[in-house]
Amino acid sequence: MDSRLANTWRLTVNERKFIETALLSGIRIDGRNPYEYRKLSIKFGREDGSSEVQLGQTHVMGFVTCQLLQPYRDRPNEGTLAIFTEFSPMADPSFEPGRPGESAVELGRIIDRGLRESRAVDTESLCVLAGKLVWAIRVDLHILDNGGNLVDAANIAALAALLTFRRPECSLGGEDSQEVILHPPEEREPLPLIVHHLPIAVTFGFFSSESIMVIDPTHHEEAVMAGRMTATLNANGDVCAIQKPGGEGVLQSVIMQCLRLASRTAGDITKKINDAVEAYKTERASSKIKRHPASIALEGIGSGGNVKGKQNLSLNLRV
Amino acid sequence: MKAGKLQFSKPNKYWVESSQKRYVPCAEDTVLGIVVDCKADNFIVDIKGPATAFLPVLAFEGGTRRNIPKFVVGALIYVRVVKANPGMNPELSCIDASGKAAEFGLLKDGFMFETSTGLSRMLRSSPMCPVLEELGKQLSFEIAVGLNGRVWLNADSPSTVVVVSNAIMNSESLSEVQQKIMVEKLLQRIK
Repeated sequence: MDSRLANTWRLTVNERKFIETALLSGIRIDGRNPYEYRKLSIKFGREDGSSEVQLGQTHVMGFVTCQLLQPYRDRPNEGTLAIFTEFSPMADPSFEPGRPGESAVELGRIIDRGLRESRAVDTESLCVLAGKLVWAIRVDLHILDNGGNLVDAANIAALAALLTFRRPECSLGGEDSQEVILHPPEEREPLPLIVHHLPIAVTFGFFSSESIMVIDPTHHEEAVMAGRMTATLNANGDVCAIQKPGGEGVLQSVIMQCLRLASRTAGDITKKINDAVEAYKTERASSKIKRHPASIALEGIGSGGNVKGKQNLSLNLRV
Repeated sequence: MKAGKLQFSKPNKYWVESSQKRYVPCAEDTVLGIVVDCKADNFIVDIKGPATAFLPVLAFEGGTRRNIPKFVVGALIYVRVVKANPGMNPELSCIDASGKAAEFGLLKDGFMFETSTGLSRMLRSSPMCPVLEELGKQLSFEIAVGLNGRVWLNADSPSTVVVVSNAIMNSESLSEVQQKIMVEKLLQRIK
């Protein structure tokens, strides 16, 4: 009990009052104006489908993996997309290890809804064998540091990871062409996912006094604010999802203003993501020239060829 | 022993100065604490240490059972660590060694932000660190630095508080000359 008391982060009365009075004159504690987004930096890991996003002090890592699974019965020819969130206790003392908390579930749901409802990722192209085998895409989001506005940062991390992810190519073989052959990356170039558009989540914070609204709240502001709304839009200005979890009521005119701001911000962020992905892809292409495929090296060694020489994974699927 | 920067002062004094996010209480440190709970005999205060600290209700200047000060939960206070024994909750006091209130007590208004312990020690160094010196030449503000890595600031306008707090947070890894340049640039921009 005592150690938990000492480990939680607290907001003082002074900070609460200062944040509110400063906002009345249009000043935020990190020097931004109310409609300004924080600095965003996107980095990629060594492997395909991993991203690291830093939004101000917030730090999120995204990781995409895939697996061949049986599809859901009602969608026999569609692959699946699932989002998993992991809140590390190191990011914020209030996150507890083990079972995902309420905020972790909500974060996952918002991102999942934005991607799924707008059909951003083409799931039909993930079908290998209708009704039998499809690719299941799994997005893991790790919160490494909580500086406020985890939803937006996690959403960008998920998109950046999905854009750089490549699944191994597979083809059907065998006598009745019901056998699935997976080709290792050295043999056939892995395939990227088909992403139609990028649904960008933009979060707004509302303060009780005289309808003050800020974009991209920090964790200090999150502790003070009375209400929150996340709008998910793409660069064309299409609204994909809106999440308004309780709190202060908001006027319709304010929501319209939020959506206008969000669509402008979504355009900026889309451009940043695309630039970062483009830079990563050119770097990958230039480094590939020097790459020595592992399978060729193994075949060169020779003797143990039967065990490892042919890396084709074959899966027998008979009815 | 903790890792840190090796410091040297003439003629022959060497020490390792560490910097952490977490504070380890030490007797005679002055710190900024947040009131967590009010009990009959003690205020429970968070001083960023591994355990919460106790501030006896009588540890105020002329403190008796009759005039116990009232603190709301979340109040920010400037206090002195009196006892910091391992395995015990640290004990705080709002009076100095000679029984005077000195500067201790409740901090009203203003803004509090957290830094590393190394930065807060730098802010309290003498001669005065260049960030505060340069900022003080142009702006007027009130500051209280606790050795536990908490800094309280107050000024007439919120914009001054924001500028000063961000300048201090940015000066964490800068050398003295860099600090001066950073502050000069900042002040030119806001003019």
